[in-house]
Parts: sequence; structure tokens; C-alpha cells
Amino acid sequence: MPVLEKDITSWLREVVKPEEFNEKNLKTSGVLFEAVVAQNKIREVAREFLAQDYFLESLTAVDFAECLEVVYHFNRWSEPSRSCVKILVPKNDGKPEDGRWTAPSISSIYKSAAWFEREIFEFFGIIFTDHPNLKRLLLPESSVIFPLLKSFKGEPAGSDVTQSLKLMKEDTEGFQILYPQQVTEQATKHKRDYYLNLGPQHPSTHGVLRVLLHLDGERVIDAEPIIGYSHRHHEKMMEIQTYVACWPNMGRLDYVGAMSYNFGYAVLVEKAMGVTPPPRVEYIRVLTTELNRLASHLLWAGTFLMDLGAFTPFFYCFDDRENILDILEMTTGERLTYDYFRFGGLDKDIHPDMIPAIKKFIPEFKKHLKDYDGLVTKNIIFKKRTRNLGILSKEAAISYGVTGPSLRASGVPFDLRRAEPYSIYPELDFNIPTRSEGDVYSRYWVRMKEMEESLKIIAQVIEKMPAGEVTLGKLPKNVPKGEYYSAVESTRGLFGMYLISDGSLNPYRLKLRTPSFSNLNSIIHMLPGCLISDVVAVLGSIDIVLPEIDR
Amino acid sequence: MEIKETLLTTDTQSLSPVSGVANFFKVEDVFNMARANSLWPLTFGLACCAIEFMAGGAARFDMDRFGFGVVRPSPRQADLMIVAGTISRKMVPCIKTLYDQMPAPKYVIALGGCATAGGPFKYPGQYGILEGIDKIIPVNVYVPGCPPRPEALIAGIMELQRQIKSKEVKGTMTQAVVHDSQDNRPAEYKNAISRVEFRKPPTPPAAPSPENKS
Amino acid sequence: MSFILQEIIKIILYGTLVTLFVSVNALFLIWLERRVSARIQLRRGPIHVGWQGSLQTVADAIKLLTKELVLPKESDKFLYMMAPLIVFAPIVAAFLILPLGPHFVMRDLNIGFLFVFSLTNISFIGIFIAGWASNNKYALLGSMRAVAQNISYEIPLLLSTMGVVMAAQTMKMSELVAAQEKTWFIATQPLAFLIFFCASLAEANRAPFDIPEAESELVAGFHTEYSGMRFALFFLGEYTAIFISSAIAATLFLGGWRSPVPGLPAGSLAGPFWLLLKTYGIVFVVMWVRWTFPRLRSDQLMNFAWKVLIPFAILNVFVTALVIQCQKFFA
Repeated sequence: MPVLEKDITSWLREVVKPEEFNEKNLKTSGVLFEAVVAQNKIREVAREFLAQDYFLESLTAVDFAECLEVVYHFNRWSEPSRSCVKILVPKNDGKPEDGRWTAPSISSIYKSAAWFEREIFEFFGIIFTDHPNLKRLLLPESSVIFPLLKSFKGEPAGSDVTQSLKLMKEDTEGFQILYPQQVTEQATKHKRDYYLNLGPQHPSTHGVLRVLLHLDGERVIDAEPIIGYSHRHHEKMMEIQTYVACWPNMGRLDYVGAMSYNFGYAVLVEKAMGVTPPPRVEYIRVLTTELNRLASHLLWAGTFLMDLGAFTPFFYCFDDRENILDILEMTTGERLTYDYFRFGGLDKDIHPDMIPAIKKFIPEFKKHLKDYDGLVTKNIIFKKRTRNLGILSKEAAISYGVTGPSLRASGVPFDLRRAEPYSIYPELDFNIPTRSEGDVYSRYWVRMKEMEESLKIIAQVIEKMPAGEVTLGKLPKNVPKGEYYSAVESTRGLFGMYLISDGSLNPYRLKLRTPSFSNLNSIIHMLPGCLISDVVAVLGSIDIVLPEIDR
Repeated sequence: MEIKETLLTTDTQSLSPVSGVANFFKVEDVFNMARANSLWPLTFGLACCAIEFMAGGAARFDMDRFGFGVVRPSPRQADLMIVAGTISRKMVPCIKTLYDQMPAPKYVIALGGCATAGGPFKYPGQYGILEGIDKIIPVNVYVPGCPPRPEALIAGIMELQRQIKSKEVKGTMTQAVVHDSQDNRPAEYKNAISRVEFRKPPTPPAAPSPENKS
Repeated sequence: MSFILQEIIKIILYGTLVTLFVSVNALFLIWLERRVSARIQLRRGPIHVGWQGSLQTVADAIKLLTKELVLPKESDKFLYMMAPLIVFAPIVAAFLILPLGPHFVMRDLNIGFLFVFSLTNISFIGIFIAGWASNNKYALLGSMRAVAQNISYEIPLLLSTMGVVMAAQTMKMSELVAAQEKTWFIATQPLAFLIFFCASLAEANRAPFDIPEAESELVAGFHTEYSGMRFALFFLGEYTAIFISSAIAATLFLGGWRSPVPGLPAGSLAGPFWLLLKTYGIVFVVMWVRWTFPRLRSDQLMNFAWKVLIPFAILNVFVTALVIQCQKFFA
């Protein structure tokens, strides 16, 4: 059977005839090839990628002096084959407010593109033609700024509150402004359906998410997640900071599983600089990341079960999590928002008491996992609430770009630690728990099994850890000029970072492809037909952290 | 920058003190003792500090021992708003609405650096966050940290309890309209570079291999 | 003294005693709930306010008394203010028929506990009014769920007691206790006890049937817009309802004021003690169940009532009737 990426490459070269085409090294730059195609060909390209089972991993834009570059990254589950396709949007000395920067939308082909394109529209001013719903995503509706353009050098009224208070009016009448047709229909036609707002302040503690539900009685007809309430401008901030100053950002994106974000950033810059950290560093990195994965899944389990009405497991999970946090705090000094990794090494070596503490912790935790099994997994009420609910099929998963445990619960054994291995994962022995049903129960089951696999990894790492140093010493402060893409398996899915470096001390553009962004998008597919109680269960099962989505 | 302090005490008149024959409890004292010992927080987590808030209510740190463990989801039934996390501009009207919906007497704790003054997300020319919740609602206690440990949160609430019992409850607000971001460092904004320049291979070019064109 | 004057004095005395008891009982139960839930959740619960946290609920009550009372915009003001009273008052009136000792019952009505359950239905109208009058979609959803739940669970509640009534040939509470001289009805009607327990959990909106006030879904259900003392009345009503259903369960199935051990005294002084002991035992189990199980969804709740509890209750009635007829036939 012919190797597929040659097929797509040859198809591109012969049929589409790209304007630029570069073959690249997957290990050093993260992509197999890079092609610039004409604007009117991009839809054809996207259709061909979809036909060959590629999903849209990331879609972003870059601001250059004479044009804007819209960058598409496609990837496949079956083998590492990340491909980069770009289109150019000429600026023609115009301004974004003129509305003349346009590009075709591929949201009819890949559903995940809908949100990516809205984000590019609001940050760069590129208008995507034929987009069903092109309005702002992360910033308030009344914003007039396009922040990620290089010409935007800061908001003059930095913390002007009167502007924000004007938003209050928009918020209370927001529904009338955004959906005028529905409002008149409701007033005149006496329909049965109504709109209910879930959030942004909501007891299901996922953060500040707002879901606008269109309901008929208690049944959901339609759902629209509205995000942006936690936007903390990471990407713009990182463009004016040095690479080292960006470490705290990495700890605060997904604060529950911050170690894997540290890992991703370290892998990216080390790939770009072409350095390899010492072996002891790799083992410690994997150890702390897997411990953090356990802590993150425990927090998820506690809050998910609390959403379903079982209040007690929350306390048990948090108690276990506190033990893990004690172990990590011994070494890093932090409980939650870690920035322990450095380029080419770590901040400091692990504490001498850490490994004995872990050895004591592992058997106790295994016993607790059995308790959770009996208390929750076998409980009949729990099974009735979660089985056959919120089903995500493989086709929907491709279209929405879902990754992580939510994808593995739909029958796809895609885990970057095996598909595109980094660090010492190829030498470790662990399984990828997969389940085929794709319902809420499967996602719960996959995460509980992943906790057992993480324990296995931790046990192996402790046995094999070599002695040595934990730093490479002083590295240059700037990253060589070029484009780099790197992805790691964070607790919620595929965390990708796309770096464009112009050789200076600051990143030129650093795009964060966070897993929860695409995972949350998929609830538009899962929610219609559910009851309100199910909405909460489904939202909990996809495991999102809002600051990661809103960046 | 002016700091305007508003006194948010709850008693309107005091009874004249009588000593010697009988020891009177002022009714307001009893009310304040009751209010201090029965603070009901609102479930309101915005970002990372919310996790430490949840950990504070969990089994190891157990805020319920002191009486403030009954966390109510509805603002009508809560009297303490713990603003935990960064406040984005989009969230400002929601916070103001929630604060207005809480019945008096109500208290606010700013948890963490972000709610106090913007935290690590304050940079010259920032466009997305509100630098401190005290720009729109009066804050009684500031708890610093990023994120503060749950013990720090409990210490903050106990400080609020002390303030309520001794009738020193002060709500602090800072001036709302500021024309620059409070971060005055010189900003390193760069102009857009030319794509053509960017695509040129670095000079001097090493032996060009077909795989490493940049 | 004339009979009427005696009656009036009795009414005033009982009324005061009952009101006092209800308040103290609610305070005690809320404290008990917080401590029991804390222990189940590996923590301590309120321990600093007063001895072992006993004054915690007093502080809560005083704070709620002094809160600002809000009236939501465009809400139906009269109904909004009446709703908590309609919810709370009928439950207090249920103490009328509770037998505390051999001749110690305020009004020994010949319809007994049926009177109580009719009154608690009025309190559900109060919940419906609260949800409607708040002008809030969450509250309305919560109250509609509460009404559906109440209607569904009334039937198994009463059907399960039919077995006991048939065995004792009476609905009078004092005679029901008298009929348990040799064996308690829990031994002869265990299925009825289980059905009664589940149905009374649902009637009191307790987990796993607490869908109307589902905290993680509907903010706070039907009492979202209530603050201060009005909210406290809902709370008090809920805990008093738990107490009343447990007390009736204790009377119907666990022998009421009779002592479990045959030798111990059970007169007018010891009777209330035994009744309270059994009642609080059942209340403890109610709390235990709340903190152990997740919540049922509203349609699963209805399924459980109509397709599981009612058929089993009817089966129980049928079997009891059969057994009684056989006993008559062979005796």
C-alpha cells in the first residue's frame, strides 16, 4: 500500500500546483512539508485532506509587512504526517477596518475551522467569505481593536473601566442585539421553545463558560458556547517578552496540568535551538508530568462527579490530589501553576525525599482507585446518568479536531506519546486505554484507566532514573530564525505550539493550539437532544479548562 | 492615584454605653458576631485561584470548620464574594451584576494578584484585563499570591471576620478611570517584518540540504 | 374550668411547644447534617463556633434574620412573599397527629397520617408559587420539576402504607402503635418500609431525588431568588419535612413510642425518648444516603416512581391482602 503522505504531496504538487513548496524534516521543524497555495484552491486542498482522514490541527495567521499569512496545519491519527499549507492575504496598504482583507472559509468542510476563523477575524481583521457566523469570539462584541496585528501597540485607555461598564448594557440587551429575529418570533408566535443561559457564573466549576441553550421544555434543541470571559492575552504578551519571561505564561494556561505545558514549551525551544537535555532531565520531566497528569485527572473526577450530584468523591479525590501536590511542592515549590522546566534542563534537581515519598504514595493510591471503582464506577445511578449520552462518533471527532481522552473514548488510539514520541516515552512500557462507545461513561472510564497507566510510568521512571546534571548551562537568549511546530500530549489532548522566530530575543508569533478549544467546539454536536441535567454531565465529561481555551 | 475609602459599617446608631449595674450587649454586636461567624461565600471562580479556593473547602484545609463552608450558588443567598482569578473586560458587567444582586451586608475578598492589581497579566498596553477588581466594586480584604495557598485564603477570611466583629469594615476602591495601563515599563513592540526577508535563508548558507530550507 | 377554656389553653400550649421544638429541631438537624457530611467527607465540619459548633446554626439564623430582603423586578410581589409561608406552615401543622406516648397525642384523628400527607401537598403548591413568582427561568424549571416529582411520589407513599393499615385495621396513629405490641411492622412489611423510605426522600426533595434544587444544574432551583429569612423558611421547611416523614416512618413501622427492648419502660416520659431516638436514627440514614449517591435525572426519577415503586407497592398490598385472608380462613 503506497505511503499516504507521498500521495498527498504528489497530489498537491501535480493538481494544485502550489506557489511555494518546501520539504521539511519532521524532527527539527515539526512538519513534513510546507506549501503556499492560491486562495481559491484552499477549499479543494481541505477536501482532499479530509478525504484522506486528516484532521485540522491548527489554523492561525501571521502578520507580515506586505501580507498576512493564514497557516493551516493538518495531521493524521494513524502515523505522524503533519503538513502545513498556507495562503497569503495581501494587505495592499489597507487597514483591517476597511474590510478588504478576505480569504475563503473552510468551515463547511472542517467544523473546527469555524472557531479558528472567528478568532483570526477578531485578532487580524481577515474576513472569511461564506463563514456561517463570523463574529468576535474572545473579545466583547463591541470591541474595535485587532490586537495581534503588529500595528496594534497597546490600548491607550489601558484599564479604562467606563468602557467595560458600557458593556453591561450590551450584556443585558445582548440577546436582543445578537438574535433579533428570534426575539420577535418569540414575542409574536407563542412558540414553546425558549433560551436559557448557563453561566458565566455557574456552580459547575469549569471556569467562566457561558452556554446559550435553546430549549423545548427540558430538551436541548441547540447550544452555543460563548467564550472569552477568561481571555488573558497570552499570545500578544509573549510577543513583547523574551523567551525566558514566557515561562510563567506556560504555567497559567492550563493551570491544572501545567507540567505538560512546560514540557511542550521546552520541547519546542530545544527543537528550535537544536539542543538535547541531559538524560536525568528527561526522566525527571516525565516523572513530574505524569504526577501532574494524575493530579489533573483527580481534580476532573471530583468536579465531574460533583456535577452529577455525588458530593463525596470530590473530597476523596482532592485529598489524594493534595498528597501528590505535597510531593511536587517538595521539588518545585509550587502547588498549582508550575514553571519548573527550563530550556535544556530544569530549575533545580529533585528533593532527596521525593522518591521515597512517591514509593509510599503509589500503593496507597492503588487502593483508593479500587475504592473509586466500587463507589462510583459500579453505581447503578451513575451508570444510568452516563451511558449512551453525549456520543461522539469518529467522523465528528475528525471534523471537530477532538484530541485526548475524549478522542480515545471514541475508539481512536491516538496518543502523542506513542504517535509522535518525545523525550523518553519510546523506552517506557504503558498502554493507551481506548473504548469504542464514545459516550460520557467511556470518557470517564478512559481517564480512570489513564491514571493506572500513569502510575505504571512513574514506577518505571523511578527505577531507571540515572544520576547526572540537570542543566545544560547557559544557552543563547534567542532562537534561530525559522518556523517550528511542536506538540505534546497534555492531560486534555494535543497541545501544539507554532513558533515563528525572526532571530531576535522575542518570539515573532507564538500560536498556542490548546486541546480544550477544539474539544469544547464538539459539544455543538453532542448536546442537541439532551436534557438539561445531561448538558452538565456532557460538559463535565469533555474536561475543559477555560483559560486554556481563551488564552 | 487617589484611593477612596468608603465606610461600610452596618450599625446606624449606637446605644449609649451603661456600665456598672448591668452588662448590656449591644444588639449590633450580636448581629456582627453572627455575621462574622456565618459568612456564606458565592461559588465564583474565574481562573487559577479558584482551584485554591476549592482546595480550601476540601478535606485537608476545610473552611467549614470556621463556618464559611456553606457555599451558595445563588448570589441572593451569599454574602461574601471571593473574586478568585483574572478579571477580563468581557466579564466586568457580569461581576457588577452579581455584586448588585447580593443583598446587604455583603463583603468582597480579592483573592490573588490578578484580582488585586492585574497580576502577571499586566503589561504595557494590555487590552484584555481589568487591573484589579477594586476598580468597580469595593474590596474589604486583599489576599496576595499567585495563587495564594488555601491557608492564606483562610487567613484572609479570618481577617475579614476580625474586621466585622470590631466594626472596622472598610471597602476600598481605586480610581476607575486611568488613561494608561498601570504598567509603565517601556514596551518592546516591534513592527511587522517583511515576509520576503523572512523567507530568505540565513547568511552564510551552510551546505544546503534538501530538508533544511528555512 | 369549662371545656372550651381547657381546649384553648391546650392549643396555645401545644402550639408554643411545637413551634419551639420545630426551631430547635431544625437547628439541631442542620448542625447534624453539617457534621455528618463532614465526617463522611474526611473532614471535621463546624467546630469552632460554640461547643463543637453547636452555635453555628444560631449564627446562621441570626445572620439570615438581618439580611436585606430583596424583591426581584417584575415578580409577583404578593405571591413571592406568601410562598415561603405556604411551604412552611402545613409542615408544622403535621405535628398534630404524632403520638408521643400512650395517651399523649394532640389530636387523635381517625384519618391519622393521611392528614399529614394532604397538608404536605399544600406545601408543594407553595414551591410551585415560589418558582413562578420569582420571574426567573431557573426557578420556574426547578418548581416544575418539584411538582412533577411530588405528584409522582405521592402514590407509592400512600400505597406502601396501605399494607400497614390493612394489617392494623385502622388509620388512627395511636391504634397503629398499639397494634405493634408484639412485632413491629418493619418485620412483617419490609418492602413497604423501603418504598415508604424512598418515597419520603423524594417528597422532601432530598438526594438522590433533589432535582428541584439541583445545585450544579439550576443554580439553586426554585429558591434562587430568595434571600434572608424567606430563604431560611424554605430551609426550615425542608428539614422539618424530613423529621416529620421519619417520625411517621418510625410510628408506622418501628413501633412509635414503644421501646425496642421489652423490659424497659415506655410510659409517658420514656415514650417520647424512644420515638425521638428512632426518628433521628432514620434521619441519620437519610443524611447518609444523600452524601453517598449521585443524583437521578428527572425522567429517570419519574420512571423509578411509576415503573418500579408503584408496581411493587401494589404487589405489597396484594400479598398483604392474601395473607390476611388466609389467616382468617385458617384461624
